[in-house]
Amino acid sequence: MNKAILRISLACLAMFVLLLININYVQAFEGSSLATKPLNARTFDEQFSYQRGSILANGDGTDVKIAYSKLADHQYHRVYPKGPEYAPITGFHTIFSNTGVEGAEDSFLAGNDPRLAVHNFTSLLTGKQKQGATVALTISPTAQNAAYRALQNDGGHQAAAVALDPKTGAILAMASVPTFNPNELTTFDGTKLNKVYNQLAHSKAQPLQNWAVTPNYPPGSSFKIVTSSAAFSRGLVASPATTVPAPQPLKLPNGNLLNNDGDETCFDGKPPIINAFALSCNTAFAKLGIRLTAPVLRDQAELFGVNKTFSIPFQVTPGSFPTPSGWTDPSFTALSAIGQFDDEMSPLQEALFSAAIANGGTLMYPYMVQQVIAPGLSVIQNATPKVFSQAVSAQVASNVKAMMLQVTQSSFGTAHATAGPQATGGITIYGKTGTAENGVNNSATNDAVFTCFVTGPKPIAIGVIVKGGGFGADAAAPIAVQIIKAYEARS
Amino acid sequence: MLAFALAVVVLAFAAASLGLSGKISGLPLFLLVYVVLMLAAHFAVRQLAPYADPLLLPLAAVLNGLGIVMIYRLQESGRNGNPGLQVTDLAASSTTMQVLWTAIGVLGLVAVLVLIREARVLQRYTYTLGALALLLLALPALIGSSINGAKVWITFGGFSVEPGEFARLALAVFFAGYLVTKRDALALAGRRILGIDLPRGRDLGPVLIAWAASIMILIFETDIGTSALFFGLFVAMLYVATQRTSWLLIGVLLFLGGTFITAQLFGHVMERFTVWLHPFSGSNPSNGSFQLIQGLYGMAFGGIFGTGLGQGQPYHTPLVQSDFIFTAFGEELGLVGGMALLLVFGLLVQRGLRAAIAVKDPFSKLLAAGLSFVLALQVFVIVGGVTRLIPLTGVTTPFLSQGGSSLVASWLLIALLIRISNSARQPAPQPIQDEGMTQVVRAA
Repeated sequence: MNKAILRISLACLAMFVLLLININYVQAFEGSSLATKPLNARTFDEQFSYQRGSILANGDGTDVKIAYSKLADHQYHRVYPKGPEYAPITGFHTIFSNTGVEGAEDSFLAGNDPRLAVHNFTSLLTGKQKQGATVALTISPTAQNAAYRALQNDGGHQAAAVALDPKTGAILAMASVPTFNPNELTTFDGTKLNKVYNQLAHSKAQPLQNWAVTPNYPPGSSFKIVTSSAAFSRGLVASPATTVPAPQPLKLPNGNLLNNDGDETCFDGKPPIINAFALSCNTAFAKLGIRLTAPVLRDQAELFGVNKTFSIPFQVTPGSFPTPSGWTDPSFTALSAIGQFDDEMSPLQEALFSAAIANGGTLMYPYMVQQVIAPGLSVIQNATPKVFSQAVSAQVASNVKAMMLQVTQSSFGTAHATAGPQATGGITIYGKTGTAENGVNNSATNDAVFTCFVTGPKPIAIGVIVKGGGFGADAAAPIAVQIIKAYEARS
Repeated sequence: MLAFALAVVVLAFAAASLGLSGKISGLPLFLLVYVVLMLAAHFAVRQLAPYADPLLLPLAAVLNGLGIVMIYRLQESGRNGNPGLQVTDLAASSTTMQVLWTAIGVLGLVAVLVLIREARVLQRYTYTLGALALLLLALPALIGSSINGAKVWITFGGFSVEPGEFARLALAVFFAGYLVTKRDALALAGRRILGIDLPRGRDLGPVLIAWAASIMILIFETDIGTSALFFGLFVAMLYVATQRTSWLLIGVLLFLGGTFITAQLFGHVMERFTVWLHPFSGSNPSNGSFQLIQGLYGMAFGGIFGTGLGQGQPYHTPLVQSDFIFTAFGEELGLVGGMALLLVFGLLVQRGLRAAIAVKDPFSKLLAAGLSFVLALQVFVIVGGVTRLIPLTGVTTPFLSQGGSSLVASWLLIALLIRISNSARQPAPQPIQDEGMTQVVRAA
């Protein structure tokens, strides 16, 4: 019988080995995926039992805390010192969910990222409490504050602004109104939280939406940057001085008439493109659009980041230029070329248009996480600027740049009054206005768009959109000017 | 060895009270009683079975003690100003009760050692114990009360007793006695088909009866775990007795077939499978699989080194004090602690099997092998169940789970193993010198 007993022993051994392997699997390998499963009360309780990492705005060279955790009554409460100002950036961290940087960088902030494993292990051995990593952002508090205040004083429109460094793609400011106060969502009381959250979520003004990265607005004339870039790149127009036909009105292929703004003639009807750009004549660029065709316009727009998704660190698709298959009607292409068809952009996308031109045609990936710093102050992730695309050649970029200069500097430029030398106190702004007609039969108030950049030691590219603001030059440009003035005056 | 085991338990208690309240409370009475009980058991074994395997008692003692510490820790959670939530279905007197049951278990151990001086005397009561086992099995189905979906308890005077735990021991004795007499017939008669020796039809009878009985348990008491244990016990002992693989094959096929059919016929059996395969799908997390996934969450939360005794949140898992106690250990002692516990169980089983191999008398051999195997199988069924290795079925974790019947039955099982290992290791009496004519007869 001993042989059989030995076999039975082997069976017992096999059972124990299976159990050992299985608990290894559950506890060592499956652990992190189980931790994120629904109804896991342990993770839920645990995430407030230790200090979550802070979020810093470091764009001015000093650390400004925009989110941190404070111990009160045995639990860590999240605090947002600047509340609504930084809400589109930080997002919120509630007992139910995370958004914004809180959501995108959660694994670092919560200290669960594999790159923090060594650190967590040493704190375990030394008996220190677990702690999340700090996330330092490229946001400049100066620019952010100027943007937020300018938007707030704008008279209750839905509006947003994004500023970034065209050389690196680092986002310097991102403000959006109407917004919300994330401090109202930090309660541990689920019922109360649900009430506050639902109020925000169902509010008609949609304060939870980050309008700065939502492609929700037709770009209007600011899209002429893309149209002229394509025209220069394809050789349709040789230089800013080349004349282009700009009839008033333009008869579209489908028989409709396209007018310039205010039905005004564009100079003599055959101006140099630089003047047509500065005065923002619709017919000149509509005609160029028809010659370029829709796929070419789309490809040029995509080089500027349209239709692409970025992690900044949260996922955004800042611009959309839909080209449904079979879309061949050149009349619609003409409207697209002046930003009046189905294409929709966000303030971030507007900033990217300017950023590419400012950087000699090279578009950098937009980003806002500069560093992730482990609790022991060692840097575990450091952002390096990356090239997204060569949107246009350096030559084309300098052509467009010259035209954008005329918009603010020439006496007939659309933004001469609001972003010209008198308005800026001597700072030279390169810009393009946009006034997008809106609503059924263009019955609604126009959306105001302004995209611009400043070169020099403190380069900055800005996109501003004010929904229903009226003329781009009047409603959007002053906001950009205020951001620029604050940013350039920064020591 | 025992001193070491006791030290582990006392230190575990210190860690638990430190983790719970932040300070080490003095040695409470229940722990003192436990220590005294174990020492008493030790001296009883030394007196009554001096040659017994010296590891069996300490291994059982460490498991029993850690179980008491964990039950104390769960009982204190959310009570007496300690952090955490209360484990609602765990009474405030649970630890005291568990120590009381330990005392009864140790008394049982001593009684077995006193009354049964040689395991083979039990062979005389083969059919008596067989009948007793059947009676014990049938009792809950007849007069039992259904708790948590399974009908395995009988209640009298405020106490719930699970007769199935004792039936298992009686059955092991019955099988050993029956198989020792019938093993030749079962092993040798029969035809050979496709390379497998098939037994004779009439010899199949007892196997079919055991199978039918376990299926009955499955149906009437809705207890898959217990029926798996019975059937596993029988098949393993049959195999040891006959050394014929065919029995093993027939047994496994019969059990799988039976389970499959009952799964088709009865909703609660099918649900176990669904929960096992898809614990996270659909409405499952909040319904059938809630307990299972809470246990898994606990183990995952503990990770490799665990949260430390008293510092985890095992109270989130329903019934954590009984079926799911292993997950509480996994959570608070981590993967490392869980593996250590499994190794202790493994060592216990191994010592039992070693006694089975060493002992000469076939009845004792069969009994020791069966008891050791069923212990291993029980650990496999419950630990495998709560860690989602196999479908979850409710059996207790030997020595660890809260509950008297299981604890006392486990101590009786250890008593039998101690008795058998004593016989196995007893020095042979001096052979009578017969001019070199001594013939060596090897037991098979």
